[in-house]
Amino acid sequence: MQHNSETEIKILGLCVDFPDKNSGDIIHALTNIDLEIKEGEFVSLVGPSGCGKTTLLRAIADLQEPTSGIISVKGMRPHEVRIRQKYGFVFQSPVLYDWRTVRRNICMPMEVMGIPKKERSKRIDETLEMVGLTDFGKKYPHQLSGGMQQRVGIARALAYEPEILLMDEPFSALDEFTKEKLHLDLLNIWKKTNKTILFVTHNIQEAVFLSDRIVVLSPHPGRVSAVVDVDIPRPRGLESRDGDDFNHMVSKVRHSFEGV
Amino acid sequence: MSDRKEFSLNKNMISTAVYPIFFGLFILLLWETEALHKIIDADTFTLPVPSRIIGIIAENLPSILKNTKATVQVAVGGLVLGSLLGYLLAMIATAFPKWGKGGLTIVSAFNAVPVIAIAPIMTNLTKDFSRDPNLRSMLAKTLVVMLLCTVSMSINAFRGFNELKPFSEDLMKSIAAKPASVFFKLRVPNSVPYIFTALRVSVPGSVIFAMVSEYFAEYIIGVGRQIRENIVLAQYATAWAYIAAAFVIGVTMYIILLIFENILLRGRR
Repeated sequence: MQHNSETEIKILGLCVDFPDKNSGDIIHALTNIDLEIKEGEFVSLVGPSGCGKTTLLRAIADLQEPTSGIISVKGMRPHEVRIRQKYGFVFQSPVLYDWRTVRRNICMPMEVMGIPKKERSKRIDETLEMVGLTDFGKKYPHQLSGGMQQRVGIARALAYEPEILLMDEPFSALDEFTKEKLHLDLLNIWKKTNKTILFVTHNIQEAVFLSDRIVVLSPHPGRVSAVVDVDIPRPRGLESRDGDDFNHMVSKVRHSFEGV
Repeated sequence: MSDRKEFSLNKNMISTAVYPIFFGLFILLLWETEALHKIIDADTFTLPVPSRIIGIIAENLPSILKNTKATVQVAVGGLVLGSLLGYLLAMIATAFPKWGKGGLTIVSAFNAVPVIAIAPIMTNLTKDFSRDPNLRSMLAKTLVVMLLCTVSMSINAFRGFNELKPFSEDLMKSIAAKPASVFFKLRVPNSVPYIFTALRVSVPGSVIFAMVSEYFAEYIIGVGRQIRENIVLAQYATAWAYIAAAFVIGVTMYIILLIFENILLRGRR
């Protein structure tokens, strides 16, 4: 964890409530969340469904309005950060536009942002290489496997060079083998780009393997029940999963859940 | 691998093209040899054999072409104007969703009104438009086709603008895209397959609506009207020549549509 210790994201007393779609009762998706994330840190939000991990990520991204509390990103409100295009969001599904080729999908945010054509093309080449899809630029999304599609989604989020990468269960729909490969790729990309990454998952092994710190969330109401430092040395490879440290860390995270 | 693909393509071709063509030729053979007349208990006066119909077409080619041109003008004109207007209405409805959705429901009610009710109304409404009865009638007929194509396009295009894949709007929001970007980079391209859904109904519909509205028009012209006029005069062979012309118009327009669809939806699943 060699990153400098400047605080990038600061959350104080965050609450998010919304009405239940069926009954109309108020659901406390998040209550009283306090959290600090440092620049360049890889932090996972882990918890069972209904614990508000996605809501927390969306609140930071300014895709969800908080009920109360403060979120400060680089000293700004999430809205200002979003308008300045500093967030790269990777969704649960790749959200590729099926009328665009892989290259043009990666290009789309840069077109929206008015990045010059020459620069766009250069960055597409770079990000395609980063995600290992150099030969697939001209393909259409339906010609790719699920894992490749998700790689394109990551490349699209990297190409416009945001400062913070927000990932919402990006690998949950993939098989184990593809997932392991993408974990290693993601760690490489993180090392190369030095971005702050917030990673939402319900998979404890995944969180332990990837993160510097794990924020454990518990449901009803959604709250932080523990923050666990992961002290498995980097660089991590597939063999890191076999050690006792790893298993110890997984069970430590598992035992920090409350009321599940 | 590529061999297998070719084989499956051929197999597909056989079931979608070769079988129907053979079936059609078989019916034509029955028809020409008058075996068909025996099966359905018809005579060669009301159902002339194909070779006689072709002969009539050759004899009357100039007047058939003149009437075909009139029908195509109405069908294509109404189709183009109606589809453009429908797409525009869908855009407005998308920009103002509160009123738009309800507005389109009212528009879709026009779908329930039969052509034979709309056509005389349009003829009546346009009676002061011009002193030239041909021009008056053309306008009335084009308006009928246009109205019906507007309905089908507006409903489908609205769905195309709004039935977006999950998270695609969130993606746009996360990169701080302006509404214009969301519209042109997401909603418009997303609507393209829906445009073709509308046209697959409107294109054959426009020919039928054009022909039916010819029945009610003041000025006697068009393939549909000639079918009727010739049946009234018991000139069945000539009526059949115009039925053949109507068939050619409909099929040609549909094939043109399929070619466009093939080009514009290439790459999509």
